[in-house]
Amino acid sequence: MTARAGATVLALPPSAVADRPMATLEDLGRTLEPDAVWVLGPKREPQAFARARSAFDAPAFHPPLETAGDGTLHRQVIADSSADETGGIDTEPLEFAVTPNLRALEATPTAVSSALADRPAVAALVCDDVTTTVRPTALETRLEGAEVLADALPTGTVTTVLTGSEPAGYDAVWHLESGTGAIRGVDHEAIGGVEPLAEDCVSVRVRGAGPTEGYGNSRSIATLRLTADGVASVETHKVTDFGLEAVDGIGPKTAERLADRGVTTRADLLETPVQTLADLPGSSPDGARRMHQHARVLETGEPRRLTDDSLPGEDWSTPPLCLDIETDGLSPTILWQIGVYDPASDSYQAFVERSDPSDPGRVLEAFCDWLLGVHPNRALLTWNGWGFDYRHLGSFIAKHVPYYAEEWESVPKLDLYLWAATDEHALLPGRTNKLEAVADALGYEGAGTGLDGAQTAAAYQRFVRTGEELEWERHEAYCEDDCRALWHVYERLRDAPRADGVAATLSSAAGSKTTDSSRSGGRSTQSSATATESEPAESRETERPTKRSANADETEQTGLGDF
Amino acid sequence: MSDQRSKPQADVPITGDELVETFPGYRDEDDVTVLERPGRSAETVPCAEVLDPELAGPLENDLYTHQAAALEALADDENVCVATSTSSGKTRIYALQIARHYLEARARDAASTAYLLYPTKALSRDQERSLNDLYDDLGLDITVRVYDGDTERGENRRRIREEADVIITNFAGVNTYLHDHDRWARFLSACDLLVIDESHTYTGVHGMHVAWIVRRLKRVLDYYGADPQFVLTSATIGNPGAHSSALIDEPVTVVDEDGSPTGPRDLVLWNPPPKDREDPSHDERDEWRDDEDGDGATSEKAPADDVALERVPATVEAPRILSHLTYQDAQTLLFTPSRKLAELSVKRASKHRHDNRRYYANPDRGSAIEPYHAGHSRTNRHGTEHQLKTGVLDGVASTNALELGIDIGEMDATVQLGYPGQRQSFWQQIGRAGRGSRRALSVLVAEHRTLDQYVVNDPDYLLENDVEDAVVDIDNDAVFAQHLRCAADELAVDESDVGAFADRDRLERAVEMWRRAGQLRGHLETGVSYVGPPRPQRSVSLYATTGEEYEVRLADGVDERSDPEMEPLAKERVLRDFHEGAVRLHQGQQYEVTAVEHGAPRPSVTLRPTDVDYYTRTRTDVTVLDAVSEESREVGEFTLHFGRGRVLVYHGTYDKVAVHGGKKREQGIPTDNPPLSMETQLCWLEVPQNVEDALIEKYRDVSVPDLEDGLADTAHLGYAGGLHAAEHATIGVAPLELMVDKRDLGGLATLTIDSHLDRAVGREGGTNTNTDADADAEARNESTFGAPGSDDAPRNIAAAEATVREIAQGLERTPASGWFIYDGIEGGLGFARAIYENYEAVAERARDLIADCDCGNVGGCPACVMDEQCGNDNRPLHREAAVDVLDQLLGDADEGALAAHRPDEEHGGDRRPPLFYA
Repeated sequence: MTARAGATVLALPPSAVADRPMATLEDLGRTLEPDAVWVLGPKREPQAFARARSAFDAPAFHPPLETAGDGTLHRQVIADSSADETGGIDTEPLEFAVTPNLRALEATPTAVSSALADRPAVAALVCDDVTTTVRPTALETRLEGAEVLADALPTGTVTTVLTGSEPAGYDAVWHLESGTGAIRGVDHEAIGGVEPLAEDCVSVRVRGAGPTEGYGNSRSIATLRLTADGVASVETHKVTDFGLEAVDGIGPKTAERLADRGVTTRADLLETPVQTLADLPGSSPDGARRMHQHARVLETGEPRRLTDDSLPGEDWSTPPLCLDIETDGLSPTILWQIGVYDPASDSYQAFVERSDPSDPGRVLEAFCDWLLGVHPNRALLTWNGWGFDYRHLGSFIAKHVPYYAEEWESVPKLDLYLWAATDEHALLPGRTNKLEAVADALGYEGAGTGLDGAQTAAAYQRFVRTGEELEWERHEAYCEDDCRALWHVYERLRDAPRADGVAATLSSAAGSKTTDSSRSGGRSTQSSATATESEPAESRETERPTKRSANADETEQTGLGDF
Repeated sequence: MSDQRSKPQADVPITGDELVETFPGYRDEDDVTVLERPGRSAETVPCAEVLDPELAGPLENDLYTHQAAALEALADDENVCVATSTSSGKTRIYALQIARHYLEARARDAASTAYLLYPTKALSRDQERSLNDLYDDLGLDITVRVYDGDTERGENRRRIREEADVIITNFAGVNTYLHDHDRWARFLSACDLLVIDESHTYTGVHGMHVAWIVRRLKRVLDYYGADPQFVLTSATIGNPGAHSSALIDEPVTVVDEDGSPTGPRDLVLWNPPPKDREDPSHDERDEWRDDEDGDGATSEKAPADDVALERVPATVEAPRILSHLTYQDAQTLLFTPSRKLAELSVKRASKHRHDNRRYYANPDRGSAIEPYHAGHSRTNRHGTEHQLKTGVLDGVASTNALELGIDIGEMDATVQLGYPGQRQSFWQQIGRAGRGSRRALSVLVAEHRTLDQYVVNDPDYLLENDVEDAVVDIDNDAVFAQHLRCAADELAVDESDVGAFADRDRLERAVEMWRRAGQLRGHLETGVSYVGPPRPQRSVSLYATTGEEYEVRLADGVDERSDPEMEPLAKERVLRDFHEGAVRLHQGQQYEVTAVEHGAPRPSVTLRPTDVDYYTRTRTDVTVLDAVSEESREVGEFTLHFGRGRVLVYHGTYDKVAVHGGKKREQGIPTDNPPLSMETQLCWLEVPQNVEDALIEKYRDVSVPDLEDGLADTAHLGYAGGLHAAEHATIGVAPLELMVDKRDLGGLATLTIDSHLDRAVGREGGTNTNTDADADAEARNESTFGAPGSDDAPRNIAAAEATVREIAQGLERTPASGWFIYDGIEGGLGFARAIYENYEAVAERARDLIADCDCGNVGGCPACVMDEQCGNDNRPLHREAAVDVLDQLLGDADEGALAAHRPDEEHGGDRRPPLFYA
């Protein structure tokens, strides 16, 4: 991830462009440094497109408007060979073939094949109305446009089709019968490369770049990393994590009011007196101070503690053990890797089930033997563990090694995410509160395994199913990386100065040092001692999503990625 | 009143005959039937024969035989469904089984929990109290707690999960809580009993969701090593065993030999008097006479069979009887079909007293009458329940909210405003009066509509026939697929779910469908996880509404104290009852709707208090548009299609109706409502031209006097009546053949099927036999009213009907006639599909139903072709023509049966009117 080989494409839904202040879009451009900006179709949104063109330095394209007119497909240059800065491995030019819609594709099937013949320069075909349609009464999912694609795309090879009509993260290879478009099969796991099904088959790798429903705006924009091999990765971002709106307490309305006063960037904000901010409608002196603090955190990359509370476990004689688990899916059937980093000895211990995945108990037993036997008096530390790690460990230990259940319950369990983000003891730099983003913003140098939780889960599932071995070292390095990143964040927060005056107002709900000691009494005491403990999860039961519940939801979905 | 309450063994203060004698004004004896139903004495078994001494000891009363039988079956580890009468002590059965489990567990130093699922929150709280009281009496330390949407969040909920022995909730709650099952680990691991109370209420759409929630719950229970027993309690239904087994997917022992006592009952079937015979001293008379005169063209249920005999509406007569009974010291519960009528009836009961001061010397006697329905706040409802129980109230006008087992004590009498539509519901409601061995009084006031008139004229229908079957469908893939996503979110779906959750083929297909849509990941061998948007449970709508709720707000500048504090409203209700200009009565206060916001993100209804002497009533119309055939097949010469299309429901105009008398002040005022548009599944049958020609000829002399639209004498009417009747009967019998609930189906008989189809689809040869995905997509883009989901449907029914007629004019070929059957739920439910696949069997049933009915009416009766929900008030209907059509379809007609009616070549020139009937 550190080397910038290839190119980045920013995929923006028109609504995200239209609704956001220009300064936010500019910040988006500065932060993500796209090589091209794709304003998603299939609807024609000329105004949003115009806005994107003026906001970004990188060239923008909007498929519904990209008609070449001469019967050929528009070729969008993403990166040309001379512009590539690393000068190393990858200097090939990269282009997209862009079609306004399926109808246009249908009209000019030969244009497609001639454009695609130019591979590998043409990395993908962009067609925004390719989408899947679920027909539950027939228990089938259709690929809209399958017939057109089967007619236009080459056989015997895999063609990548990018679409804004599928959410970012959608990735499946549809094998279509040439001519008819009948579905021959669909491959879902692209790990280890994708193969065409047969010589007479049109294989389409459909990858989404659109917003994900059900997440509000938290996954509304996507970045695609491209290399000569195609799309290497797709990441999602929250549009409100950029510009002034990235600052806590500034929503679109406040941002508008600030813009009226000429304040459009976080630097501007920091130059605006707190008193002026406090006088904004709906603001308060505390809120204004918080805006300043958070803006400074984001600008400097330095974390800020909002209270004078100790970090969880900070007052213990030995530091907590940093824990991370890997599973085989979001609804796990095995916790196949448990990694623990011990800051006291700067050592790492991994418990991995490499040989008998049918028995989820062995790895748990080994872990418990070690934890309870070797480190009987240590606390554990996680990042969002109550949303994932602790939750599943508790449930799996109770089921598979019940003799350790009671002991496990009494192990002190701390969570840095809960303390910092949910209980609002600190402001963190980083665009999101994902561990990777926070650690990265705090200068952590990761191992660059190129994996994420979902990939590692899929790889393990494949191992269980087919016996095909994982690249164990790589997957173990991934887990270790997260444990060490967690400790890095912990140290940076520990070294950040404690807040003074504001402590009393901000920490009243969570309690102060007693929190840590009572948490050490085991799970039940700890939930009863700290009402905030169960709060985020509880609020998920409500039908009214609050800020917190939204976080909690996100938590559980990204659990594999160590939120 | 209080005297009555303190003498529980006393009979009702007024008998059926006395009611007839004392009621002011003349009532023809032919209009009132008093049936005396004998009582039944209790059959009991000593507790000690069934229960251990520790439980039997403190119990004062013996067990009824059905309680004993159920407890014995439970002791043998069987699942039990108890289907006995209201207040026969069903709760006690599972309460005692919980106590048994508790004692057994205590003996081995373990825990035992029970999960109790009730249909309503009100019932939950009611039962929480009585169960806790029972365990206090038994001296058992069993904690019973309610845990539902009203339960205080945070610490309180955690304590209930971690400490309660018995948790009471509802299925909407279980659906949600399963997501966090690990937090329920203690409770679920120890679960020995699962109770589904009032299980007969789980039918249709709701029933199928419940069946899947039960299956999801069972997976999770199994994960925690629990294998609980089931107890289902049900009102008397036709198929308690089959229905219970379908819900829980396990064999069930049925206990339905009722051992509880019943007092004798006077059952009065009361047909309101004809209008012109009404006592002229009533000042309402003129108003309601005007009401019914000359406006038969409205969508209101108009008198169907005998125009000469117009009767006082039950909505006027029933409150009078309520008023009369409470005056006679009988505490009375009036059941009304709507919240509106519950409110209105209280006013009318009072008016009756004051209009008849000569008779009611002391008009304030027994006049404490309140409305009761789910629109009231919980506190408010609870107050009313309490006041009923303690005798403070003399009467209540309630919706079916009081039909279920809320404890309101023993009533003297019930009055039903109209027949509730189902025998099961009828018996459940009248069971509210006369608990124990007291003589009770129940009055059914017939509404002036065909179904009610049939019932009062033929009491045997109520007394002798079986009650209806409760229908629950688990074969519906759309609903199954929704719950599969939830299941995968709760625990990975894997090989162990094959067979247990669904058969392999179905499971694999559904998993693959969601995988292709990017919502599931993984394989059955290793476990399938849910990876879609958070909390798939939230997208499950248990009542199959659109899931869109409207907040109720007060208009600006209105005093906060007049806030009606109403619960959010479902979209369907807003369109029907809360359009702009609507006047709604809520807890005695009138409100006018001043604004409706349909758009996202927060739809709302704005009200302000008002004081006017009218209320409003919407008119409803239905039509089908843009149907696209996806599959078709031949049945003899007939062509049967399955496909998708749009069903439009319009509450397009409303009337202002006088509060007193019901006269319409103003008619046909536009609601400005958007149409309620459903993309759904349909099947339809095309009648071949030669059959149509012959039948039009055969029935060309049929006329239906007074039919709206001035089409009373058109040559096609008899045939159209046959199609209409066949459509009703087909829908009506569908549940006999298939696991569907007819309330979720709708139909439309039409002389021009083609004008309801999508015009863009080519129709060579009149059929479209192969599914062509591309043609479908194309068709949708160029459909009559734009793409599905777009908001460009015609704004009112006139526009829609005009469109249908316009299309009819422009058709290139002679259109086919026939009828549609559609799923009345957005997206469809697979019912129309199932009927498509089983059409012959269903048609055979329909044919026999119509032919064998001995009602003797050309237009049929509620037992054959009349449908209570008919939007055209069951007109025109023609049984004989329907049988002819179905005989032709099934190939049962004699050779040449139609030959006599073949029109001459030169004849047959009658212009085809574009008629269609829902």
